[in-house]
Parts: sequence; C-alpha cells; structure tokens
Amino acid sequence: MLRMTNLSKVYRTHMIETHALRGFEIDVKQGEFVTVTGPSGSGKTSFLNIAGLLEEFTSGEYILDGVNVKGLDDAARSRLRNEKLGFIFQGFNLIPDLNLFDNVDVPLRYRGFNARERKGRIEDALAKVGLASRMKHYPAELSGGQQQRVAIARALAGSPKLLLADEPTGNLDTRMARGVMELLEEINAAGTTILMVTHDPELAVRTHRNVHIIDGQVSDLVRHTPSLVDAGAATAGATA
Amino acid sequence: MFAYYFKLGLRNLRRNPALTALMVLILAVGVAASVSTLAILHVMSGDPIPGKSDRLFVPFIDNGQPDGYVLGAEPVDMQMAYPDAMNLLRKHPAERATAMFGTGMSIEPPRSDIPAFQAYGLAPTRAFFAMFDVPFLHGQPWTADDEARGANVVILNRTVAEKLFGDANPVGQRLIMNREPFTVVGVLGDWNPMPRYYKLIGSGPATGEEFMIPMATAVRKELTPYGSVNCSQVRDPGYASLLASECTWIQFWFETRSAFERAELQSFLENYAGEQRKLGRLKRNAPIELYDVMAWMEVRKVVGNDTKLSAWLAFGFLILCLVNTVGLLLAKFSARAPEVGIRRALGASRREIFQQFLIETGVIGLAGGLLGLLLAFGALALIGMQSRSMAAMARMDWEMLGLTFAISLCAALVAGLLPTWRACQVTPAIQLKSQ
Repeated sequence: MLRMTNLSKVYRTHMIETHALRGFEIDVKQGEFVTVTGPSGSGKTSFLNIAGLLEEFTSGEYILDGVNVKGLDDAARSRLRNEKLGFIFQGFNLIPDLNLFDNVDVPLRYRGFNARERKGRIEDALAKVGLASRMKHYPAELSGGQQQRVAIARALAGSPKLLLADEPTGNLDTRMARGVMELLEEINAAGTTILMVTHDPELAVRTHRNVHIIDGQVSDLVRHTPSLVDAGAATAGATA
Repeated sequence: MFAYYFKLGLRNLRRNPALTALMVLILAVGVAASVSTLAILHVMSGDPIPGKSDRLFVPFIDNGQPDGYVLGAEPVDMQMAYPDAMNLLRKHPAERATAMFGTGMSIEPPRSDIPAFQAYGLAPTRAFFAMFDVPFLHGQPWTADDEARGANVVILNRTVAEKLFGDANPVGQRLIMNREPFTVVGVLGDWNPMPRYYKLIGSGPATGEEFMIPMATAVRKELTPYGSVNCSQVRDPGYASLLASECTWIQFWFETRSAFERAELQSFLENYAGEQRKLGRLKRNAPIELYDVMAWMEVRKVVGNDTKLSAWLAFGFLILCLVNTVGLLLAKFSARAPEVGIRRALGASRREIFQQFLIETGVIGLAGGLLGLLLAFGALALIGMQSRSMAAMARMDWEMLGLTFAISLCAALVAGLLPTWRACQVTPAIQLKSQ
C-alpha cells in the first residue's frame, strides 16, 4: 500500500540543513493498522506529511498504491491525495463556515462526483459515525469527539485506501478518545489501511504494529498482531 | 465547480462582514466615479448615427478676408455664407444636401388656457429629415412644393404637439406663429440625439428643437438666426443684406451614396471654390475641408479636454480604490489560510484554490458593481442637476450598464490576482498542524 525506500527529507535555510528523515524505510501492507510513535522532533510529522503528499521529499523513493509519486506535478499529487488518501487531524480541521454535510462534501467535490452520488456518500459516511441526524449543524455546535467523528466521516466519504491520522485523539478526553479509536478499528476491520501517529502507548498496542521513529529513522518495530506479520505484511526496515 | 465556488463566494460575503462591506464600498465608489464620467464621455463621443456617419459630410469653405490669413490657422467660424449654401443646394454631386439655421418664433396655442410662448426651432431644407433619419410620430416632412413656395407649414416636436393638441393627431391643424397661421404637417417622434451633431455651432435647448419650418419660409419671413452670425466685413443693415453678405450663419451637410464618393465631392467643392475665387468672392486660398460626422465632432471638440481629464482622473481614482481593495483582500484571504490548508489536504490542487478565490473575488466585484451602479445613477443625477444640457448627457444606457458590471468585475479580478496567488502558496502541512 505504502512503501518508502531510503527516503530523506532535508529542510534547508541559507545557514542550516536539518535532516528530518534520513534513510527512512517503511512498507505498509493493504489492511494494516500501523501506529507511528516517537519523541517530538523525531520526524513523525514530516513522515506523515510526505506520506500524505502534502510535502515533497528530498531523495529516495515513495510508492503509494503502486504509483511512484516522485516527480508528479501538483495536479497529479492532488488527484492522488483526493482519490487514495483520507486525513484525520488532531485539531479536527473542519471548515467552520460549512455545516457537517458541506464539510463532508468538500473532498467529493474535488473528485467530481455528481450531486446524487455525493449526497449518498455523505449520508452514509455521517451515518457510519453516528451523526446522520446532525447534517445541518455547524462544527461549533458539536463536542470535540463529535467533530472528530465528522472529520472521520469526511475522510471516509471518498472511500480512501489509506487513512492518515495525526494524533486523532490528542484533543479528546479518555471517553471520547476511546470512542474514536473504536471507530478507527471498525474502519480498519472493514478493509481500510490506517497509519496513525500517536503519543499514546495504550493506543499503539491496539494496532497491528508500531513503528518507532527517532532522529528521522525507524528505530524500532513492535509487532502486535502476529498473523499479519507472519503473512509478510510488515517489513519496516530498522536501520538503527 | 463554478457553481460551487460561486455559492461559496456568496456565502463568504457574510464572512468578515465589515471587511467585505468596506471592499464592496471602495470598489463601488471607484466604479461609480469612472462609470459616471464614462457615461458622459460615451454619450458625447459615441457615433450618433451609426451606419451613416461616414457618408454625412460638413463642408468648410473659408470665405474670410485675406488680411492676416495664415495657412492652416484655425478659422474664426466654420459655418457657411448664404450665397454658398444656395449655390451648393442648387448644384451638387451628392445624394442629398441640406442647409439650416436655428431660429425662434412665438406660438399662440389654439387652446385659450395656454398662454403664448416663445419656442426654439430649426429652419432646415426638406432633405434634412431623410439625411438624419428623423422619425415622425404623425405626418411627414413638408412637400417640395411647400419648400419651393416658402409655405407656412410647421413640424412640431412631440412635447410641443402634446402641449398644444393633447393626444390628438394635430396634422392639418392650424397654429398661429409670429401672428401668422401655420399648418401642422408633422410631429416628430422621439428624436433628441446627443450630442446635437447636426448643429454643433450655436446653442439650443437641451430637449431639442421645438419646431421646424422650411428654411425658405424662415428666410421669406426674415426670421433672425439664433446662434452665431460671423461677418468679417461691415455689412448694410437689413435681412436682404445678410442674405447677400459673406457673413457665415448657415450650417450645411452633404450625404453621399457611399463613403467612396467623398473624393468626388471634395473635387467638386474645390472646383466650386476655384470658380468663386475667379468671381472674386473667395479671397483666401484656403484648402476646402470635408468632415464626416465623427471628424466634425472632433473638430468641434464635442468631447472637451475637461471631460477627458475627468475621465482620466476617475480612472486614477479607480486604480487607487483597487490598490486599497488588494490590501483588504490580502487581509481577508490570509485569514483563510487554514481553510486553504484543509482543502489542499482533501484534494484541491493549487489551480482549484486559485479558481475558488478568484470566483469569490468576482462575487465581490459583482456586489461592488451593483452598488456602484446605484452610486453612478446618483452621481449622474447630481451632474444632471447642473444644467438641462448636462441632464440630457448624464444618462445611462444598457451599454453603460453592462460596462459598469464589466469594469467592476475586471477591477475586482485584477485586484484579486495577487491575494489569490498568495492563497495558492499556502503550505498545507503548516496550516494543518497549527490548527
């Protein structure tokens, strides 16, 4: 599903070069639920941004669902992002002026679906996260947990192959966080690959495996679900 | 996606309402200033008789005195002397020709409840009506026989006809003008070309001539020419002396069958001038000029330098407004950076973001155009209050109405280019993390 080989990301200013990722290797198989952990500044966010085609990498190779993304122009990267990826952020990132229906509608508009198809997908997605009755509500009228559910519905509406979640429970209390995690597990069980950055070790152990990053490199790999690993799903390259 | 972005644009008008209102107002004021000056410029400089303006010609035959004459110097007057007008009416190679002068007469209404009043009129020859496509509400131009006899016939404009006879067709009715009976042979339709290109020398009422009588009749009745009468020599008193003199007070037009016949007409006039020089009438060896409608309006400076300057100043003001709008749009769009980040993450390309924000700017432009239109109507009403002639020119037609929205839209789009481009440069990763 996602394979990065010898990937590096260097931020350059006129004075300093910062290596956010170096020799980074990871291979995530279709259907996996992988958590990414690591201390602040380890490169987790850079990895997620590159995985989500929101940032370019400096060198190496990145294959997303069979597509080598190196050299793709902005339009092609945007199309790939829209068709293959779904995003869930710590801060929910809903558009405050749009109601839930219109928020979930945003990625579907860029996909070019007709009105009927969009309506069906939006209703299904909101129903899946238990918010079908609140379509006309605005984000500010919802709790944090509900907002994150809307964000999940928005990510799901386009039927992405890979869901990228950046600390999706970071802004939620324990009860809400549990609810969101259960929802993600359901989504994964239905076949969607999930890559989740988290600081929470309790969440990490609930996934198939955990990739730990330090200094821009994969330092440790913890396998939680032998069946998937045995099937050759996870082959993250530990270089440390 | 256009409809989606347009809908978002409308919705976002309500976002930061104070900022949006300020932008719309600034744009509207700039547009109103330029459109109101443009409207006047448009009325004054537009082709008043499209399709024919290159076939209608004003001849200029300089019959001034030779003393102090400098070749190429601006002539004192560009009207024609009566003898030349008569000669050219009698013999010319053009399709039609007309001569005219402005005059005035007192009218005694047939109804006793309306007091007698002084009316401003025009005394042209019969060809005038066909040459300038003058529409008739009732009746028709006087006959050739009326013209030859200098008959007491009159054509009224609609306002005067309704004032005197109400809604009834007055053709055939009699009217006392300068204490003599005149028969109404026609009523003009709605015809009030602005500028009054057919008679650009000498003033007249802004609402157009109130009546028209044959030039022969006006001459037979020795009606005083209204407007300028220029005499380079002292002449004897009396009307006969005016007719025989070299004083210029007649305005003259030719109509050719095609624009290509201009050269033939020019050649004819040069021959005519040569003959008149031999006869000792024309003393200057000045070139014979022939102006079509647009050239004649240019020569007569229908669009004055003041008007042109006003238009430039108004456009300068519009640019100033645009610069302000750019600043406000930058502020508005920079506050939307998080939204851009989200949309980019969800699959919007830079091009999609560019389209969305540019269309949103266009919506602001349309709102500015709508308000600008109202302000322009107000400005034109104020300009029109200055004088009746300004009132006739300070008006908005469909063309100007469309232009108002076009200017506003273009202005907004131009102003929106930089802020929109900046919006496209938003780095989504930074925005998404900072939320």
